[in-house]
Amino acid sequence: MLQTTIEPPRQKRRWRALATAILVVCGLLVASLAIGVYDITADDFGAELVWITRVPRTLALVLAGAAIATSGLVMQMLTQNRFVDATTSGTTEWAALGLLLSALLLPDLGLVGKMVVASCFAFAGAMLFMLILSRVVIRSTLVVPLIGIMLGAVVSAATTFLAAQFSLLQMLGTWFMGSFTQVVRGRYEVLWVVAVVTILVFVLADRITVAGLGKDVATSIGVNYQTILVSGTALVAVAAGVTVVVVGFLPLLGLVVPNIVSMVRGDNVRANLPWVALGGIALVTLCDIIGRLIIRPFEVPVSMVLGLVGAVVFIALLFRQQRA
Amino acid sequence: MSWPTSPKTAVTRKASIVLALGAALLLSACSGDSPAEAESSDGSGSTATVTITDNHGEVEVPVNPKTVVALDNTVFETLSEWDIKLAAAPKGVMGSAWPGYTDDTKVADVGNHREPNLETIVAAQPDLIIGGYRFGDYYDEIKKQNPQAAVIEIAPRPDKDAFTELERQTEILGQIFDREDEAKALNDKLDSAIAGAKAAYNGTDSVMTVNTSAGKIGYIAPEVGRSLGPVFPALGWKPALEVDGATDNHQGDDITVEAIADSNPDWIVALDRDAAFAAADREAGSAPATELITKSEALKNVPAVREGHIVVLDPNFYLEEGIQSYTDLFNQLEKAFAA
Repeated sequence: MLQTTIEPPRQKRRWRALATAILVVCGLLVASLAIGVYDITADDFGAELVWITRVPRTLALVLAGAAIATSGLVMQMLTQNRFVDATTSGTTEWAALGLLLSALLLPDLGLVGKMVVASCFAFAGAMLFMLILSRVVIRSTLVVPLIGIMLGAVVSAATTFLAAQFSLLQMLGTWFMGSFTQVVRGRYEVLWVVAVVTILVFVLADRITVAGLGKDVATSIGVNYQTILVSGTALVAVAAGVTVVVVGFLPLLGLVVPNIVSMVRGDNVRANLPWVALGGIALVTLCDIIGRLIIRPFEVPVSMVLGLVGAVVFIALLFRQQRA
Repeated sequence: MSWPTSPKTAVTRKASIVLALGAALLLSACSGDSPAEAESSDGSGSTATVTITDNHGEVEVPVNPKTVVALDNTVFETLSEWDIKLAAAPKGVMGSAWPGYTDDTKVADVGNHREPNLETIVAAQPDLIIGGYRFGDYYDEIKKQNPQAAVIEIAPRPDKDAFTELERQTEILGQIFDREDEAKALNDKLDSAIAGAKAAYNGTDSVMTVNTSAGKIGYIAPEVGRSLGPVFPALGWKPALEVDGATDNHQGDDITVEAIADSNPDWIVALDRDAAFAAADREAGSAPATELITKSEALKNVPAVREGHIVVLDPNFYLEEGIQSYTDLFNQLEKAFAA
């Protein structure tokens, strides 16, 4: 009896909260559109410039932010570990290696071809990570990201070595420095691929949740664990591969956002998903705005701001973990 | 300074002293020159020395040293013009600009400045090591490892006028390799190239210098920025974009095409960092600098793009940066600005 009287208002409150969050994110996006060096109200060209630089950049922020954050959540479910995302599992480093190799061996490959190669490498890397996890006896949850970070370090050492051999070191730095500075019309469109990834994550949310409960539970409910594991990893790999090619590394984004959301709202993947996507958009947009403002008319790459924010949250999470 | 200690060189030393004394007697007999001066011009190249002032202070350097190791990219062009043989060089940072050195297997490879193989320098037993520039961090180490060699650093110092510094460097090289006339000719060429470029500039057009890499455009600050910064004061260019307190930490800054459009430059001078790679080896987004700039939709209204006032530096400029590259650059600028 009590249940029925309380449920509707709570439901309503939830919707109201989500609506508020959407409004806040929209506010951030409007700010992102409004901030720039060129005075868009000054002349006719200003209006055109909005479509050339501002809209593409903001769209890129939305697409990358939502995809990286949700794929972080997927990664955490699949590994059953809070500290895993594309950066702490070495997946982005594999994507980077793939990108460099494709540039060296198949220089005529277009942007899409490069993304395919990068995504394949990211997938192979993520699967290798999963394989190692399944073979290792894990005594502490922290061992999992440590394995990933170690793997990533080995892979990025190989990438650096290759780049040094072909005098591409400086190019490498420019390439992988996560930054939306150069995102203009004609250079962001491929990011729509990650919109598909995000939608697929929403579709597969329940199955991923079940897979997150472990192989035995999943199988007993009738979910094909292996299929979900592989398709989930593939989604993460595509998100990582595509964003690395277009904007570079976005460190810790996929780690910080899902964790904050579950801290506030508890663990319910399906209900949390929109929050994670919104949170990813909000965080990357906020960091990008900060990066654009502090040394105007120049910019601080978003990866630097994200790295700082991410590191602080990561350490806070570690402390929480210790207390729990 | 330290004298060679092996018996063999001691013998030649004795012989050269006898020769020097003989020459001194002869000279003093006919012209009354002081013996000290005569001693330094004793005819055998390996023992004559000259005192030069490098970036660290006074150093006694053998004239026309027998075994030379050079690590500073800015001197290679001059050395190769003068046919100076090198015992070792950092082939990793020389690209394809000096095949005479890089393709020669007799020239040992020191590697690149990030992971140099300093032992190859020791193994070469050089009389002279021209260090500095990218190898500046290894000065003390190199000095300690090669006590028999004169170690000098003569690359342009960052806090001084870049072009006087290049001329100072050339002058020192001229003294060491006994090519003072050639050195002076190089310096004169630079001076006249600067004067020509300065005359071709109308004094009012605004200029922006950028570098391009991996499809991205970076901002090079006037005066302090890499490679092109010093050109601003030398030619009296009016910067299209000046940022308060722009220091060297703003070198090659992340800048949006919007900001370039907003500064509305009359001229864009670009250093293409990836240009040393052949067109086929390019990353998809990293069109050559001109393409990157002219094809940018945001820049289509900028005067520099509309009038085709875009100067892209020689592909090897980034590797060379010596007095010849700047002379060529100023000649190129004179031509572009006069057109």
